Amino acid sequence: MNRIVSRHNRLLGVALAGISLVSVAAASAGEISVWVWDKAFNGDTMREAGEIYTKDHPDTTFNVDDTASQDDIRAKLQTQLLAGSTEGLPDIVLIQDDVAQKYLQSFPGAFEPLSDSVDMSVFAPYKVAAATFDGKSYSIPFDSGVTGLFYRSDYLEEAGFTPEDLENITWDRLIEIGQTIKEKTGHQLLDLDLNDTGLIRMMMQSAGEWYFNEDGSLNITDNAALKKALETYAKFYQADLVKPVSGWAEYTGAFTSGEVAMVPVGVWITATIKANADQSGKWGVAPIPRMDLEGSVNASNQGGSSWYLLSSSDNKEEAIDFFKTVWAGNEDFYQDILIKRGAVGSLLSAREGEAYKATDEFFGGQPVWQNFSTWLGQIPSVDYGTFTAEVDAAVASQLPGIIQGGDIDAALQAVSDQAQQQMQ
Amino acid sequence: MTWAVFRRALVYVLLSIAAFVSVFPFFWMIIGATNTSADIIRGKTSIGGALLTNAATFFTQVDAPRIFFNSAFIAIVGTVLTLIISSLAGYGFEMFRSRFRERIFALLLLLLSIPFAAMMVPLFVMFSQAKLVNTYVAVIAPTVASIFIIFYFRQATKAFPRELRDAARIDGLSEWQIFLYVYLPVMRSTYAAATIIVFMANWNNYLWPLIVLQTADNKTITLILSALTSAYTPDYGMLLFGTVLATLPTLVIFFVLQRRFVEGMLGAVK
Amino acid sequence: MAQARLERKEQINGWAFVAPALVLLGLFMIYPIVWSLWMSFQVGKGMNLSFGGFANIIRLTKDPVFLRALGNTFTFFIVQVPIMIVLALLFAVALNDATLRFRGLFRTAIFVPCVTSLIAYSTVFKSMFATDGIINQTLMALHLISGPISWFGDPFWAKVAIIIAITWRWTGYNMIFYLAALQNIDRSIYEAARIDGVPAWARFRYLTIPMLKPVILFTTVVSTIGTLQLFDEVYNFTAGTGGPSDSTVTLSLYIYNLTFKFMPSFGYSATVSWVIVLVVAVLSFLQFLVARDRRRA
Repeated sequence: MNRIVSRHNRLLGVALAGISLVSVAAASAGEISVWVWDKAFNGDTMREAGEIYTKDHPDTTFNVDDTASQDDIRAKLQTQLLAGSTEGLPDIVLIQDDVAQKYLQSFPGAFEPLSDSVDMSVFAPYKVAAATFDGKSYSIPFDSGVTGLFYRSDYLEEAGFTPEDLENITWDRLIEIGQTIKEKTGHQLLDLDLNDTGLIRMMMQSAGEWYFNEDGSLNITDNAALKKALETYAKFYQADLVKPVSGWAEYTGAFTSGEVAMVPVGVWITATIKANADQSGKWGVAPIPRMDLEGSVNASNQGGSSWYLLSSSDNKEEAIDFFKTVWAGNEDFYQDILIKRGAVGSLLSAREGEAYKATDEFFGGQPVWQNFSTWLGQIPSVDYGTFTAEVDAAVASQLPGIIQGGDIDAALQAVSDQAQQQMQ
Repeated sequence: MTWAVFRRALVYVLLSIAAFVSVFPFFWMIIGATNTSADIIRGKTSIGGALLTNAATFFTQVDAPRIFFNSAFIAIVGTVLTLIISSLAGYGFEMFRSRFRERIFALLLLLLSIPFAAMMVPLFVMFSQAKLVNTYVAVIAPTVASIFIIFYFRQATKAFPRELRDAARIDGLSEWQIFLYVYLPVMRSTYAAATIIVFMANWNNYLWPLIVLQTADNKTITLILSALTSAYTPDYGMLLFGTVLATLPTLVIFFVLQRRFVEGMLGAVK
Repeated sequence: MAQARLERKEQINGWAFVAPALVLLGLFMIYPIVWSLWMSFQVGKGMNLSFGGFANIIRLTKDPVFLRALGNTFTFFIVQVPIMIVLALLFAVALNDATLRFRGLFRTAIFVPCVTSLIAYSTVFKSMFATDGIINQTLMALHLISGPISWFGDPFWAKVAIIIAITWRWTGYNMIFYLAALQNIDRSIYEAARIDGVPAWARFRYLTIPMLKPVILFTTVVSTIGTLQLFDEVYNFTAGTGGPSDSTVTLSLYIYNLTFKFMPSFGYSATVSWVIVLVVAVLSFLQFLVARDRRRA
């Protein structure tokens, strides 16, 4: 019995020793800490940017933490901002564009305005707009979410189409093409997740619309673009062109395994598609179809994120200087991250660089980056507002009814009612 | 007789089905750890040859010694403290009754039902003011007095024979000695079960460590794995290799402690 | 006189044993709880909060998502808890039979699900419930269904999948509590009953169940609370959406979304939390009442 007691005592001793060993790991002076959520993509990109800066400024080092998912980063950020506690926050945090306004507006003073010290005109305007609040812009734009229609060129050819047949078309035309592909090859056109509103938002933004009016009020029941997008979404199901999936693994699995013929998605998916080297030469990228609606273009956006500097940072001057020299000034850096990771940055002048002109054998020798640059310039700018997550949830809750032929006006009314409730 | 044989067979069949269903996903995970990410997505269910590659990727991406140390430290210290503090309280609530303490106990049961997400922000404020953010203390301290485990020990104590206590009192043992020398040995299988439960809860704890641990070198394996799953292009082979590793400690604890149940079955008090 | 001194000694000892736990709980729960109670009367977004009286409670009654979450949570509770408790009890009794072979193997196998890390478990289950996952393949091979079920594309099947997953994960866990409790039971009682010719079912009904009652009550209360706080499965299986069509959204998931995903609305999310407390209070009270009545009978 004494054995057990003494073992407990020993463990207690270890516990106390451990406690005194692990004190608060305060960020050392001159070290800029950054929160990112994907090691291979935004993590390594930021590390590379940091190395470039450290080479010329040895006193400033970077600590890039990629050990939390995007949802986790949001939860951590929100908890600490709400707790009014800044000691655990990093200097720089990556935030996706469509949720940025929520943070800027609910936590005034938490983020450092950057438009006073960095020239924002060098970046893609729609990215800057997403981070502008009260006349000031708060972010250094990172990757663009410019969308493309990634397709299996071998299936397309087998069904008797050429890549040109996908240029400048409408979604309705794509459905016709999809039906032929299914007849000839047996492959579904695309895979969709009923919990994900990505495609609907993509369609809506291609017409320059979003869930909100300029004054921030809901734009749902009279939103022709949203209505059309939902109708189109339902048509895919009614034409039986959809492979239903759930979750990210199944979603990416369906197109990387060659099960479905196409995927309309943001350019950041490129690395995921190219990870399957055996499919080289079997892929192509077309502009996304437009909606059969006045004002809709063959370009849109999905995702994309930007760097935000926290006001609580002890290294603000270094961080701003870093942003200016690397992110707003170094065009070679942008060529490098494009080649290495398929990261399409938002620095306008970088698009004149060599890497952007190169063709890609994986995509059958298409000048994909140049194409994406062109489409990027056409993306209609929209105001994402502060309640996108709430309305998204409301839209997603109507999707199962809509694909079964439910009345779309009634669904829009329900979305509007629910969102109204959530926005209180 | 035939009915007895039939019933015995039925028990075996049902238990076998249950065991198969229970273990299947675990095997799937182990098989996955030997396959490449692409094979896993394609649904391959046979052993592959990518185990070493997956291991290599895992160990280059994750500072495994450090991360597993964090997890082990938090889980072991947390478990020991929880068992001490909470079993004392469970014993106290059951063996020494008073109306006032009964009310407190009822209140505790109610508090058990408050979702943790609702208390996280004020809790964070407390630890931040105490300058304890990003420490093991912050992760362990709020879990040590576990209402759940107090409740468990109280319920288990109901089966503790009071005659044993009365006899010990007559022998002149103090209440603490009775707890230590009489109660503890008798309740071994209860402690064994509680150890498994608490260790597992600490090892897999997610939401609170996520918020309170800030730097990468202080994080636990559960946090790291979760981040790896949500990469744009998750490497499932590497990930499943990591989850197999992360599951081993709880399995080992279970294997070691389940002997306690067997001992108890023989009815022998060693 | 001696009686009074004994009484006081009992009191002192009683407090001494529970004191460490109470001090810690006071430290780490009272402030957060008072704070959250105060918050439930605040309205506003983010940092701009103001006293709103009962506005949050009125908002609850008109909030379609809250009502759906409440309904789903109850569905999970009513369907899942009884299935799991009965299964766990049956397994425990079967495994407590000393003449059973491979006991350790069965016990370990059935317990394994709950030690599997959440990450592994959700990765595995998501792939098993995929449209062309192994579950659909098996069901189709057995000719139980003609085409694949879109588990997380259909509001009904999504609930079924969640219930299967929780039952898989927690049955072995509850079984351990019963096994541990069965070990503490004096075996001679069973021996005596067997010698007296009491049949197995009657031993189970009149010996095992009454003696396990404290633990059954414990697991029922804990499972009730666990189900009402159900979060892990729905968060991981539906990418945090509680879909399709809010069919798997639970109160806990809704609280999480209100706090971390949506425009932070603390007062309101605190109010939803207190709904769970209220429901658990009522249910636990009922469960204690039922247990007490049986004892009297």
